[in-house]
Amino acid sequence: MIEHAPVDRRTFIQGVAASAAVMAAPGVLAAGRRAEALRVGVIGCGGRGTGAAFNALEAAEATKGAVRIVALGDLFPERVEGARKGLAEKGEMGTVAEKNCFTGFDAYKGVIATDCDVVILATPPGFRPGHFQAAIAAGKHVFMEKPVAVDAPGVRTVLAAAADAERRKLSVVAGTQRRHEQCYLEAMERIHRGDLGKVVGARCFWNQQGLWDVEPRADRSDMENQVRNWLYHAWLSGDHVVEQHVHNIDVVNWAFQAVPERCVATGGRQSRTQTKYGHIYDHFACDFTYPGNRFALSMARQQEGTDGRVQEFIHGSDGVAELSSGSAAILGAKAWKFAGKQRNPYVQEHIDLQSSIRGGAYLNEGKRIAESTLCAIMIRMAAYRGKEITWEQAMNDTEDLMPKVLQFGPNPQAPVAIPGQGA
Amino acid sequence: MRSTLLASTVLACAGWGFGVPSNSTVSAVEAATKPSTTPEARKEPIAGTTLEIELVKVPGSADGSIKPLWVARTETLWDWQDICIYKRDQKDGASGNAAADACTRPTKPYTAADRGFGHGGFPAVSISFDSAKAFCEWLSAKTGRRYRLPTVAERQHLCARSGITADTMKDHAWTFENAKDATRKAGSLKADASGLHDLYGNVREWCVAPDGTGVLMGGGYEDKASEIACDTALPNTEDWNASDPQFPKSIWWLADGPWAGFRIVCEE
Repeated sequence: MIEHAPVDRRTFIQGVAASAAVMAAPGVLAAGRRAEALRVGVIGCGGRGTGAAFNALEAAEATKGAVRIVALGDLFPERVEGARKGLAEKGEMGTVAEKNCFTGFDAYKGVIATDCDVVILATPPGFRPGHFQAAIAAGKHVFMEKPVAVDAPGVRTVLAAAADAERRKLSVVAGTQRRHEQCYLEAMERIHRGDLGKVVGARCFWNQQGLWDVEPRADRSDMENQVRNWLYHAWLSGDHVVEQHVHNIDVVNWAFQAVPERCVATGGRQSRTQTKYGHIYDHFACDFTYPGNRFALSMARQQEGTDGRVQEFIHGSDGVAELSSGSAAILGAKAWKFAGKQRNPYVQEHIDLQSSIRGGAYLNEGKRIAESTLCAIMIRMAAYRGKEITWEQAMNDTEDLMPKVLQFGPNPQAPVAIPGQGA
Repeated sequence: MRSTLLASTVLACAGWGFGVPSNSTVSAVEAATKPSTTPEARKEPIAGTTLEIELVKVPGSADGSIKPLWVARTETLWDWQDICIYKRDQKDGASGNAAADACTRPTKPYTAADRGFGHGGFPAVSISFDSAKAFCEWLSAKTGRRYRLPTVAERQHLCARSGITADTMKDHAWTFENAKDATRKAGSLKADASGLHDLYGNVREWCVAPDGTGVLMGGGYEDKASEIACDTALPNTEDWNASDPQFPKSIWWLADGPWAGFRIVCEE
């Protein structure tokens, strides 16, 4: 049931916002509803969206709460079907009625129009700003995967919707799971109380080998090929530096309790040059300047046969913190090593969201993740253009990567950016 | 001068540095437990690459229940694993052989599966039982020889012959006490009496239980030396991949198994 009618994203978003304003529910569930199951809709039913739906159910199981998955939406019917079949293994809480399954570019509208309380936004990142805006406008609580935008207009959309969510006490959690991971939480507490002395700098890395790809097919349109192979197109992924490295930059912002003032960056495309790899780069390196003359080195690489490193180092006058998924340590005067047990952070983030929705500590991570996303976009801008980019320049940038019309058909691929020769 | 030796070996062997000079298989063993006879060893090239896998012949058991076996001198290196996953034997249009091309290969991981511990010359980690078996099948197809994971009984046989004791473990095994929270270059400690490196430490190794399921045996870099029993088998558990955020979870990579690796054996 793929809908082929062209959709202009700006127009339909306004429409959803207008109609939803009337029926928006208050952010915190009414007392009588707190014992009821939270109803969750999933927008983007790939591996991560479906995985997040499972995490939401696992969170409910861990807290003896009740959650039901009630709606599924994806551009592609087989994705919806795969998620539906997989989630049905969980019994009633994972069983979704066929009438609540939606496909096509408008699938998100169908999901949002159901009686769900929460939506999981896990499509390729380029679609996120419009989906987030529509979800908040309709009074939904949101779990959204990172990154939350691929360009500055998208970041501004997310910031505006996050502020709207704040006013209406709608809960928002982003898929930067390090923020919900015990070893990171304990390390940051120590960093912020001064165990490193004065924090003076940071280094952060997402260096890995190659990632998945979906080979373009001649019998598919440009648009379909690009969405299926979305990592390799900046309008969908933001480039790999935005798609993955946002995690590490978010940790640096967290440690510094600030966003950068400016950055210079370099990057290119050396080992991943075949057509199937679209137009994105395979390596970036960046130098961020933070307020107070503090600096952060950031590096992101996806090249086969190279050394992996996904890690952050926070440097202080009296020590250094070494952080990565599952481990954290401080070397220096106040040495420490995380030795506790921690819950799967991909489940913990849903526990924290569900607690917020049910009236616990209110969480709205919308502004914070929009800012971290913009930091990663700054790297791409600086590297693609070969120019220093300030925070203000990035925030006010007008480059809009989204195609004007979303439909299966021609959509010429962006060229590989050559620094100094582009916008 | 161990570090110098390592460095030069790495260069000479294009990243395949497990610390044994390429023209000698004896020195590491001599440095270890001085067995009465020199273990028989051979090198198996991986066609289409410059890599070789070094195998040591281990005699069978006295009662004949364990047959003589060729055992990889080191745990499986990323260098070998990369060839399989990224099809690095097919560079520049060159094809592997048809049987190898037809094998199911593990998918590319979503993150740095090497955990930043080190890559070239380091043991592969985060490896699932299915992934370890798939590597053996690919390598068998590629080379025409039968490679597989050791059985639990074979593993216990290797342990019994190792000559390593609680007192000498530190000379042979990367453990909690000396590894500093990461794997170390394969073969950078003394070999055991059979000529094998890292049997006790560095990464836990997949073996096959009598019912065909996978078990991890031996210790890893996170384990305390006092708690490593070479022949203890840990049954495969979903806990080792609990935090894979995808559905379905990967059958090839263990999100929570940074110490899961393997060693291959060859019957011929």
